[in-house]
Amino acid sequence: MAEMTLAALDELAIHRAKAGDLRALERVYRAYEGSVYTVARRICRTAEDAEEVMQETFLEVCRSIKRFRGSAPGSLTAWIKRVAASKALIRIRYEKYRETDELQEEGGWAGSRDNDVGLQMDLEAALGRLSETARAVVWLHDVEGYTHEEIAELMGKTVSFSKSQLSRAHARLRRLLGEEAQC
Amino acid sequence: MLRHCTISELLDLRDGEGSSAARAHVEECEACRSELDRLYQRMAALKALPSISPPRDRWPLVREGLVASRRRVRWQRAGWSALAAAASLVMLVGVGAVLRGGPTASEGGSELQTLVEQSRQLDEALRVVGAERRVLNGLTALAIADLEDRVAVIDSQIAYVRTASIGEREMEHLWRMRVAVMDVLVTTHVQQAANVGF
Repeated sequence: MAEMTLAALDELAIHRAKAGDLRALERVYRAYEGSVYTVARRICRTAEDAEEVMQETFLEVCRSIKRFRGSAPGSLTAWIKRVAASKALIRIRYEKYRETDELQEEGGWAGSRDNDVGLQMDLEAALGRLSETARAVVWLHDVEGYTHEEIAELMGKTVSFSKSQLSRAHARLRRLLGEEAQC
Repeated sequence: MLRHCTISELLDLRDGEGSSAARAHVEECEACRSELDRLYQRMAALKALPSISPPRDRWPLVREGLVASRRRVRWQRAGWSALAAAASLVMLVGVGAVLRGGPTASEGGSELQTLVEQSRQLDEALRVVGAERRVLNGLTALAIADLEDRVAVIDSQIAYVRTASIGEREMEHLWRMRVAVMDVLVTTHVQQAANVGF
């Protein structure tokens, strides 16, 4: 997705977007809507929340892109994803969802792992059963490559909190995926 | 290290931050090595999950929000401009009144009435042509927003001149400007309507 994004957005389009050109801003939106929605959807509990996070993210991006000074490859992607992660974390912080993963785990759920597709679905389902906070830490650290320091800053928590959430999340994922602890 | 590694220690190893004791233990312990491999595999599986497409196109809402936001900024600027323009007008009229020995209340009365009537007709035309909400392209939406802002500024100047009982010539000038801007606004709406098959 990142390669497609870079190919779709040339320097001129970014320059025009910075000047406030609505067509260029739409190109930015089209180039990043998938990655922004994926980050939002992985962190938020519902699709509706993720859509709203996506909308808030792009409003922020469109308003602030003129101040974006990054020139390194991928810096625009990193900035936009960071805005999305920040908006999603703000949303889950203020949502009043009950964290029900402990109850859901008691069922001893484990899906089939007959093939790659099955494994993928298991992992999706297991991710969905983590708390928002744990899921956000797993996604930001293991997939998006954020450090614990960056996650702590985004969440307004400590580095220890981020590390602890990641460890607990992986322990839960192991159980949810029906894997035996080796040690 | 005599005991097995914790998940936290294995995650540190996976992320290249583990202690040398933990690393040495994993080299010796098949169970911990297997667990570490599983953490690597899980991370790879997480990264391989497909991206998710948004169920609906949110760009129209983003664009609408952006245009509204720009409009608010323009309104704030226009508010100050109107105030400044009104203040300038008061100064000019005040100086003129002193030089002429007083405001010229009866000057050009029929011309003013004509302009007010033309403006009213354009308001009505705009009401008709602008009643139906259509999808506008970004540039047209911005142009319309700009023209509407200009009309609003002129209206505020007219209201000010009216309450300040300033001469009719200045009032005529404002109404003439209003007719001109309203004409462009109505024309823009009509052209947009024609483009989308109104």
